[in-house]
Amino acid sequence: MASDSLKRLLEKRDDPYSWARTWKERTGGKVLGFFCCLAPEEMIHAAGALPVRITGENRAISKSGAHLQSYCCSLARTGLDMALEGELSFMDGTVFVHTCDTMMRLSDIWRLNAGFAVHGDIVLPVRFEGPSAHEYAFSELSHFKRKMEEFLGPIDDDALNDSIKLYNKNRRLLAEFYALRLENPGLVSCDEALWIVTSSALMEKSEHNAILEEILADLKSSGAGSESDGRVRLFGIGSVMDQWDFLKMVEDVGGTIVDDDFCNGRRYFDTGAPEGIDPVESITERLWERQSCPCKHRTDRDRAACLSGRVAESKARGVIFWLFKFCEPHAFDYPHIKKALDAQGVPSLNLEIEQGSVSIEQLRTRVEALIETVRGS
Amino acid sequence: MSAEDKGLLTSKIKATEQMKQLITSYYIEAKTTRLPEGTHKPVCWITSGGPVEFLIAMDVIPVYPENHGAMCGASHIAPELAEVAENMGFSRDVCSYARLDIGAAVTKGGAIPGGLPEPDFLLCCNNICGTVIKWYEELARIFDVPLFLMDTPFIHQEKPEHATEYVRRQCMELVSFLEEKTGKAFSLDRFAEVAMLSVEAVDLWKGVLKTAEHRPSPFTCFDAFIHMAPIVTLRGTQQVVDYYKLLKGEMEDRIEKGISAVPEEKFRLIWDNIPIWYEMRNLGNLFAQNNACLVADTYTTAWAVDIKIDDPLTSMADAYTKVYLNISIDLMLDQLVALMDKFSADGLVMHSNRSCKPYSLGQYDLSRAITERTGKPALIIEADMTDSRVYSEAQTRERVEAFIESL
Repeated sequence: MASDSLKRLLEKRDDPYSWARTWKERTGGKVLGFFCCLAPEEMIHAAGALPVRITGENRAISKSGAHLQSYCCSLARTGLDMALEGELSFMDGTVFVHTCDTMMRLSDIWRLNAGFAVHGDIVLPVRFEGPSAHEYAFSELSHFKRKMEEFLGPIDDDALNDSIKLYNKNRRLLAEFYALRLENPGLVSCDEALWIVTSSALMEKSEHNAILEEILADLKSSGAGSESDGRVRLFGIGSVMDQWDFLKMVEDVGGTIVDDDFCNGRRYFDTGAPEGIDPVESITERLWERQSCPCKHRTDRDRAACLSGRVAESKARGVIFWLFKFCEPHAFDYPHIKKALDAQGVPSLNLEIEQGSVSIEQLRTRVEALIETVRGS
Repeated sequence: MSAEDKGLLTSKIKATEQMKQLITSYYIEAKTTRLPEGTHKPVCWITSGGPVEFLIAMDVIPVYPENHGAMCGASHIAPELAEVAENMGFSRDVCSYARLDIGAAVTKGGAIPGGLPEPDFLLCCNNICGTVIKWYEELARIFDVPLFLMDTPFIHQEKPEHATEYVRRQCMELVSFLEEKTGKAFSLDRFAEVAMLSVEAVDLWKGVLKTAEHRPSPFTCFDAFIHMAPIVTLRGTQQVVDYYKLLKGEMEDRIEKGISAVPEEKFRLIWDNIPIWYEMRNLGNLFAQNNACLVADTYTTAWAVDIKIDDPLTSMADAYTKVYLNISIDLMLDQLVALMDKFSADGLVMHSNRSCKPYSLGQYDLSRAITERTGKPALIIEADMTDSRVYSEAQTRERVEAFIESL
């Protein structure tokens, strides 16, 4: 049972950029798109602009086929297609964070073809450990800030500190929401839960905070749903999960994703930025403390160990890997993580998908089989 | 009728025998290092773009899984090794070098009897791709050995000072890592000596490649793909310097005697991307039959790093960050145009390589830009460097012939 705020939020799910377009019309401000959740949104926000996440969409490719081979992931192919078709014309520019080889090349192709006024590259370190990498990350973020200032105007420390606080509040509220749902997954279905997080990167943060506060208040007072509704608790692993029909189907067949490692899910809000220190250092520090991303290397954190630990904590009894076809970083980690889950006796399902060609009916049988395995174990 | 039947292929390069000996004795040393009669040097697996000079200077034997990947590809055993990794859960869409190497590592198989000598530690440099990081993370787990990652920030439009500084500091960290692993002290003098030998070998290698500017060219890029093995694996040693002196002499001799790689060289082409290892011979024949010589490529020129004697660490950090695959496609375009001009090329052949995204994504834009800038056409061949299961010989033949006809 959804609160009114949640209902209003869900109305926009088929038109995710409507908030950004409206915001631009209303304020005349600049909108900057970004793909990766490691982007320092606070810097863009502090300059009075709106950072908006591009996550591709379900569509048949038309124009991007002339720029990207078919063995490139659908996130890049559909995202570029949207830009080349003029569907992102409300954006003034784009920011690319160095993650995988595909995003690295997409940045070049995008800069040369998409025709936006500004293009930013943040070449974060790949090594997320050691003082040299930390200092390099700080310098690179400072460098990016200076470049953005040329286009957006000055970003002063006070404004940046305020944005960090605002973003931290959003992270706390989202964490609170996830904690409530972990206790009581019947409160909100998993497709709605992931949309609540995803929408955060699509609108002004203060607006999202207000909506979240209302949703949380409603959920706490309603007390609807309970764990005893018999749904099988599942954990999701992957990059972007925006297939609402798939998630609804998971609920239909008796499962629900109670926690995840999606970058538009838990990974989007998982760590706060420290307050009361130099703001660029604060943003750097947050990157360092976050859960590991498969594109970042650190020897002190094994992703399989972290994830299998989190699966146990969430009391999930099965795992769904939702991996974009041709996504190397995730594909390389899969066998290692699967092994750790097997050792823990947690069954898992590996779904390799492409946006635009997801067949819910084919996937239904496989999800049902996973749920049966869990129930039989 | 094959090219040999038509007498189209020039006799083999004589220096090949010396190269085989060089590579064989290198593998024998690596394979026997742990035996009582061995040299007891540690073995480090390293990526093809990695700073091998540090290993040579510290008496560590470098072993290159990518070189081994090429060997497995050329000897047509890549698919069976890749299947081992696929059965372990690795997607068929990940890099085929990585898949076959993982398959070879767990089965002790591959092109070297008994498999590659096992590593004591790993050195991964991401100046060629991000794939190597994931691949080496897996190797570190398989062999349970430490991994050093040399992180070289990608250059989109500019290379900021802090990027060079970051890589320079990592060179120092690598030194400490190697000191700890080998129990030996690093000597800057020894390192400078190795660096200079490396520079000398690279200059000689550039000299070899330059002989192909001559019309007709004394060799094709298919020869270069084979003769690049020493510059990739053992630069920084005297044997490699000696070897390239020999090879360069032979190429100059060919020019003097009027020997050309393709007897009736009419068209001069440039190759882009990693070779299609299992198809080298057929492709070499196909181009030769059509009087086309692939005179240069973007791949073998990648090992042309500049190191300065007065500040070897900083210049190395700079050189290793600026390699061809670590720069944006517009910077690549400038280099491609220069390469086409220098070698008086009539066209460009691009291998769109499923296994290599940093090399391949952007080729569609590059192919159009090349034609705009030089007026020369570009052909794109869809394939994979070692996984022959995704390759169509008939289709490629048809496309290559149509392309050459259009010249």
